[in-house]
Amino acid sequence: MNTILPFLDFSHVFMEVLLALAPLAAFFLFFQLLYLKLPQEFVVNMVKGVFLCACGLILFLQGVQVGFMPVGTAMGEVLGAMNKPWLLIPIGFFLGLVATIAEPAVHILSYEVEKASSGSIREKTILATLSLGVALFVALGMAKIIYGVPIHHILVPGYLLALLMMRFCEATFVAIAFDAGGVATGPMTVTFVLAVALGMASAIDGRDPILDGFGLIALVAMAPILSVMALGMIVTYAKKRS
Amino acid sequence: MKSDLKENLKEVVLAVLPITLVVILLQVFLVSLPWAEFSRFLIGAAMVLLGLLLFLQGVKIGLLPMGEAVGSELPKHGSMFFLLFFAFVLGFAVTVAEPDVRVLAHQVDKVSDGLVGSNLLILTVAAGVAFFVTMAMLRIVLRVPIAWLYGASYLIIIVLSYIAPASFVPIAFDSGGVTTGPVTVPFILALGLGTVAVMGGRSSFADGFGLVGLASVGPVIGVMILGLIYG
Repeated sequence: MNTILPFLDFSHVFMEVLLALAPLAAFFLFFQLLYLKLPQEFVVNMVKGVFLCACGLILFLQGVQVGFMPVGTAMGEVLGAMNKPWLLIPIGFFLGLVATIAEPAVHILSYEVEKASSGSIREKTILATLSLGVALFVALGMAKIIYGVPIHHILVPGYLLALLMMRFCEATFVAIAFDAGGVATGPMTVTFVLAVALGMASAIDGRDPILDGFGLIALVAMAPILSVMALGMIVTYAKKRS
Repeated sequence: MKSDLKENLKEVVLAVLPITLVVILLQVFLVSLPWAEFSRFLIGAAMVLLGLLLFLQGVKIGLLPMGEAVGSELPKHGSMFFLLFFAFVLGFAVTVAEPDVRVLAHQVDKVSDGLVGSNLLILTVAAGVAFFVTMAMLRIVLRVPIAWLYGASYLIIIVLSYIAPASFVPIAFDSGGVTTGPVTVPFILALGLGTVAVMGGRSSFADGFGLVGLASVGPVIGVMILGLIYG
């Protein structure tokens, strides 16, 4: 019973969800009254949609705050206190791989890139590149926490590399690549994986959760950018040669 | 609508289940938390799954048509000020509703012991997105190549990451990653494509892309500036 009780106290998230959706609803209402004047049936549908969003958001935030955050942090603390912390690097790799291969947004992106390459790169190749890219960066993120590497020592070279690769890549690929940043930062990464990272950082000696725990999401967002640009460079190079 | 539900269900299950399974494996073989505690994770996973499903369904029948209606209305007035001002307001309102942004803000609030409160972070992130959505619109109208905008913003980020207080830098970078969620992305695309269609007559393909990436640059810069003010 004790595990279920905290889930039933919704008062906190209730207010929050109201605050989250109110600006958008007010903004739409303003436009509807002044400019849009859409027929009533549209508006009724939208109200239904907003209501569904509110219910969904309440459940989601409650599940994250009461379920994911405490358990994620506790797991991270156990993992960080292990006597073989380097084991976390392959675990991170595996976690990144599994999360990306299944993610629907990644499949859409793979299809987009195949189209942009006029079919010269197969969807499967793109999917594999993306998943390996994300896996590698999650592993890097684990190593960053274990050894206390400041985040900009990884991200700044990454950004510079992206700027450099941009010059050798067709414009279409550049645009797709930068948009691709969000594909792998799915709901589980931000909620659970981040909580684990924060737990790890507070358990490992000499690490600080604020300095070392955050940064993983940024790494996961950078991986697809570099992966897509690398593929873009290959396509651009192949076109020039033929 | 039924096919939407099926599609959304597939999407949510594929996003939640794989990591849940890995976490269960970790629990069984490596971590062994007390099962009473671990069961909270399972209940949480079920709630997140159901919550996301309802939320995505609501986005499709409510928020998305709203965003498309407003997004395609904005450029029609032919007034640059009108477009830019409301692009800003829209960018702000959309980010405030983004679930991932809220979750990150909660984590930051908790870890920093309330030093950076969750509302302050959400407002900063939303202002960052709003500003960069506005810039992106301006870019389409003025026909500035997108590469320039990326180059300039990345350089600003790199410089700021050395000046801003160290404790804000990782949070700032993570803020950029959470803004590209199920609410923001369709809104920004609708707004961008609408603007391109009305203002341009140029290839909407290359112009419409790249907007989402720009929107995720804004919060990084915003949170670093917040750090400079605080520090």
